[in-house]
Amino acid sequence: MSAVEHDFSAFVAARGTSLLRVAYLACGDRAEAEDVLQTALERTYRNLHRVRHESLEPYVRRVIVNTAISRARRRAILSVIPMHSPPETSARATDADLRHVLMEALRALPPRQRAVVVLRYWEDLSETQTAEVLGCAVGTVKSQASKALAKLRSALGRETVEGVIRNAHA
Amino acid sequence: MPTLEEEIRQLMADETASLYAAPDLAERVLRSSRHKRRRAWAAAVAASVAVVVAAPVAFLTAGSVATAGDQATVSVTPEPPIDDTPPLRSDPPNLGDLGDGKEFGHVKVGYLPERLRWSNWSVNFGDSYSTSYNYTGDKQDFYCVQIFMHEEATVQETGDRIQEYRDEGDGAEVTIGDRTGYLVVQNVGEDGGKGTPTLFLRMSDRQWAEISFSPIYAKEFAGDGAVNAELKKIAEGLTSTL
Repeated sequence: MSAVEHDFSAFVAARGTSLLRVAYLACGDRAEAEDVLQTALERTYRNLHRVRHESLEPYVRRVIVNTAISRARRRAILSVIPMHSPPETSARATDADLRHVLMEALRALPPRQRAVVVLRYWEDLSETQTAEVLGCAVGTVKSQASKALAKLRSALGRETVEGVIRNAHA
Repeated sequence: MPTLEEEIRQLMADETASLYAAPDLAERVLRSSRHKRRRAWAAAVAASVAVVVAAPVAFLTAGSVATAGDQATVSVTPEPPIDDTPPLRSDPPNLGDLGDGKEFGHVKVGYLPERLRWSNWSVNFGDSYSTSYNYTGDKQDFYCVQIFMHEEATVQETGDRIQEYRDEGDGAEVTIGDRTGYLVVQNVGEDGGKGTPTLFLRMSDRQWAEISFSPIYAKEFAGDGAVNAELKKIAEGLTSTL
């Protein structure tokens, strides 16, 4: 194994799980996420000479997010996934129920809006950083985030979410 | 009471808490990359093998020596030896202080787009090395133009990469003066957008240049034509000192 392969393997071993979680949130499907992650790592490895060492992880994240977006568009996932009806969540709903509701709502978002949610609220990127990753204006990130949150509120039911969370964590 | 954003963040953390990358992920990535490289290498070899067989009919087997009546040219590069040397862990060295960045390694840069200056960043792997240019000269800032040089042993790998693009029908052959090159948008997901416009320039049998615009910088130009024109101007201005 060459030094480059060794270093890359060490990076994957250290950050693979974190990147898989990003891929899962961006795709909404575990098998798809694993495939997207491997594809992203292969693309990154092929272009490793162009990636500065200190920015390797953000680089892979960008590839993951953009791969997920382009795949979703290519497969016209949005046209076959119905918008989810507000769930009938009881006051005794568990965290697992909530997570299921959230993931369904995330899957129902357009891929770019989903990416904004993942980057802003999971990766904690700023609006500027999110705009850089997605190659769009900061204003676009703001509007996409606003629309995404509005749809999550609408799909989940803001009051329902708050009530269930309070009960679930009580 | 947590905000909706905080709730989403917590739910995402809970949802992904049980996910772990496969232990053999890196191995699979490297294996797949090697496999693709071998396929590209085989395709390149197949394309470069020119066999001229004169009458009487002769047969050509791998490793055979051309005999009288046969004229065979087989440009097959042997497989590189397996390297079992334990790797040394260290940050890649750089090219040092390049001044205005207009000369580095074995190349001189004759033209750069307006307002660009050396970024103070470089990397040096020996047969391959690179530096970049941006507006501020701060190496932490995002690059606008990057020039990557591939020499000697790394030329083959560059050829393989270009062959992959050819096989996929991606990109186009270009002529820069009396030199040839390959123009392609590399879709590596960098920064989103429309990919990384790149011009590979064959400077000699032993030296290739890879000139790239960052996707963000490319947006400053009025369309693909303007970007490609600038890439070609940079390529025209490159001179080898190898």
